[in-house]
Amino acid sequence: MKLTFGPEVEAFRQEFLAWLAENRPTAEEMAEAPAVSSAHVPGWASRWTRRMFDAGWLVPGWPPERGGRNAGPIETLVYLEELTKAGIPRTTNPQGLGIVAPSILDYGSDEQIRDYAMPILHGEKAACLGMSEPGAGSDLAGLSTRAVLDGDRFVINGQKVWTSGANYADFCFLFCRTDPEAPKHKGISVVLLDMSTPGVTVRPLAEIVKPEHPDLNEVFLTDVIVPKENLVGQMNNGWAMANGSLAHERGMVWLNSVMQLEKNTDLVLGKAPEALAQLAPAERAIVADGLVQSIIDATAARTLGYRGFAKLVRGGSAPEQALMKVFTSEAARRLTLRAAEMGRDTTGDIGANAASDPTWIELYFTTYGATISAGSSEIQRNIIAEKVLGLPRS
Amino acid sequence: MDLELSEAESELRDNVRAVLANVCPPAVVRAVYEGKGDVPSIWAKMVELYWPALAIAEEHGGLGQTFVEVALVAEELGRVVAPGPFLATVTQFAPALRELGGDQPLATGLLSQVAAGELTGTVALAERGTWEPAEVQATAEEHPEGWALHGTKNAVLDIGEADEVLVVARRPATTGTHGLGAFLVAGSTLTATSRTVIDPTLPLADVVLDGVVVPTDRVLAAPGSPGIAAALDRAGQEATVALAATTAGACRVIFEQTLEYAKVREQYGRPIGSFQALKHRLADMYLAVERATSLCYFAALTIAEDDPRRGQAAAMAKAAAGECQALLVQDGLQLHGGIGLTWENDLHFLLKRALSGNALYGNAVHHRSRLAQMLGLISESTEEDA
Repeated sequence: MKLTFGPEVEAFRQEFLAWLAENRPTAEEMAEAPAVSSAHVPGWASRWTRRMFDAGWLVPGWPPERGGRNAGPIETLVYLEELTKAGIPRTTNPQGLGIVAPSILDYGSDEQIRDYAMPILHGEKAACLGMSEPGAGSDLAGLSTRAVLDGDRFVINGQKVWTSGANYADFCFLFCRTDPEAPKHKGISVVLLDMSTPGVTVRPLAEIVKPEHPDLNEVFLTDVIVPKENLVGQMNNGWAMANGSLAHERGMVWLNSVMQLEKNTDLVLGKAPEALAQLAPAERAIVADGLVQSIIDATAARTLGYRGFAKLVRGGSAPEQALMKVFTSEAARRLTLRAAEMGRDTTGDIGANAASDPTWIELYFTTYGATISAGSSEIQRNIIAEKVLGLPRS
Repeated sequence: MDLELSEAESELRDNVRAVLANVCPPAVVRAVYEGKGDVPSIWAKMVELYWPALAIAEEHGGLGQTFVEVALVAEELGRVVAPGPFLATVTQFAPALRELGGDQPLATGLLSQVAAGELTGTVALAERGTWEPAEVQATAEEHPEGWALHGTKNAVLDIGEADEVLVVARRPATTGTHGLGAFLVAGSTLTATSRTVIDPTLPLADVVLDGVVVPTDRVLAAPGSPGIAAALDRAGQEATVALAATTAGACRVIFEQTLEYAKVREQYGRPIGSFQALKHRLADMYLAVERATSLCYFAALTIAEDDPRRGQAAAMAKAAAGECQALLVQDGLQLHGGIGLTWENDLHFLLKRALSGNALYGNAVHHRSRLAQMLGLISESTEEDA
């Protein structure tokens, strides 16, 4: 065990920091046109993606022709650390860069790579991920959106929901049922759907915080025609891709969660002395204890994440990684509620201020995104119990 | 930050585990509980394998390794609820000697003896339930032959096995971190009253100092010399993290045994571990153990590399270990059902070790309050608020 990585890794960090200083998007351009949805790519973000791609910094672990420099996992970790510390988003289309592009590169045809994956990597297209349905949330395999092969085209009917960024995305990585007779995991395929295709209707779902900037959507699909060549990989092989997608997503998502948790913890700590000074001693002791537990959570999240990561780097398995989502998302929820309750004026906590900085209670609501989406905390605990701990299925 | 064990660290851990499985199976712990244990032979094995020498500098006859190795051993001791003077000697006495004594021959000589396995020791620091040096009230008065110690020390670990006791006392009429001193007293000359404790593998005693005179050549740090409070803090961090690690080790085995039980115990025609209510609790137990273990390793590493975060990291590790044991004792016992309440089941050794590990050197509540002070969330004294 060591507190720092070796000198080669630190040299890599310095190389990236030097490049970042020269090439980063400015705070002004980011503030002027903030991304308002997870598939919204403002001009600066598009140019930033392209600059990173050309310099091999977009996906450092990949080969140069795909936006990388064949960096190892430790270097990739350092790169993500420094981007987050600098407050610069790596992408404003995280599902496109993190899940859709790599899945197409893994499974797609040369044409699909050229027309869909590379444009994401060049900052020219944004993608959304069509997975959840009204009847298939945590149980994704139960999806019923139907794609019927009709000659050289699919005819698609159904409905997706909770589709992040569908209101801005250029195309959708769409999971559909192609064999209704097969067992439910075995009849699913993925097609690439241009969002401008007739029959696609997107209805944004305003959320309880920032309703003016919806990110989640319902997507209605009525007799939508998609050419057969938009099938990704093999027919009825979608479930493998779904698992692959989530593996791409979970690869280093823990680091971002940890760093966001640390950032918010620091923010709360920065404001705490002033807030605590307004409290009576007994209140202060109680509030301080809650904040201390959040700081311990943040440090534990980092140490647990890095321990699992170090095991993976050594080529072993890292069961700890399965804990990271449930731990960091619930720690964020605890932190934001504690922050909301740390001042004297508790009516301030229930004030809404959506126009500018969100209030703590608004942030508290947003943390539920992480405890519900991509496998709710309840599902995560089942996965830990069954896959990691080996408990029998119910 | 590389928080996974290196090959050498893993090898040490595996060796320690294998040795302890052999010399300290549950039957041996049970014998200690029933007053029949052969503790000296367990210690002899540790000495034979140079465990006391692990973190002592090579120039003092040690192996020159770091506190990480010591913490790994402490974790393993918790896993098997091992008795013996390792925790008191290696994680309390030796660090205090090193931090307080520096290059003094008195300190280095004793360290060499510890490294060689010829000497055991303990630290008499706590009073009235606190291990904070600033709270020490025992006094050291100048005396024609040295210093006379007065006062009562609590919860001295393993004094029955200790050749030497390092006593912390202060010059009369001083307070806080001022006027503190450290003295060496032969264990045999002190009057110790054993406490009845739930975990007899961590025996505690109260010591009435009663005017014992320490000659000047046995003064490790004269009262009021500079840096004593800081040295005691640093040594206390090692003791604290070692106890956190031993607590986390005990908790991990509680978890492993409860998990195994949930897989084999059947009710309503199926293993109780197939019920979701239990699955979620076991997932939370697993998380609590990993959370505490990760913080223990991090804290051990900050001590090994003398990182400025070591004070906070040690408090976090001990707080997390305490929180972990609260959950693991509760759900470990609950999920075992009635069998866990029986003396003949081995589970209670682990439960009691976990509870004791939390209580010694400040429990979770205490370390969280210390963190609140370190982070400036509350002031050290609440008198101003009264």
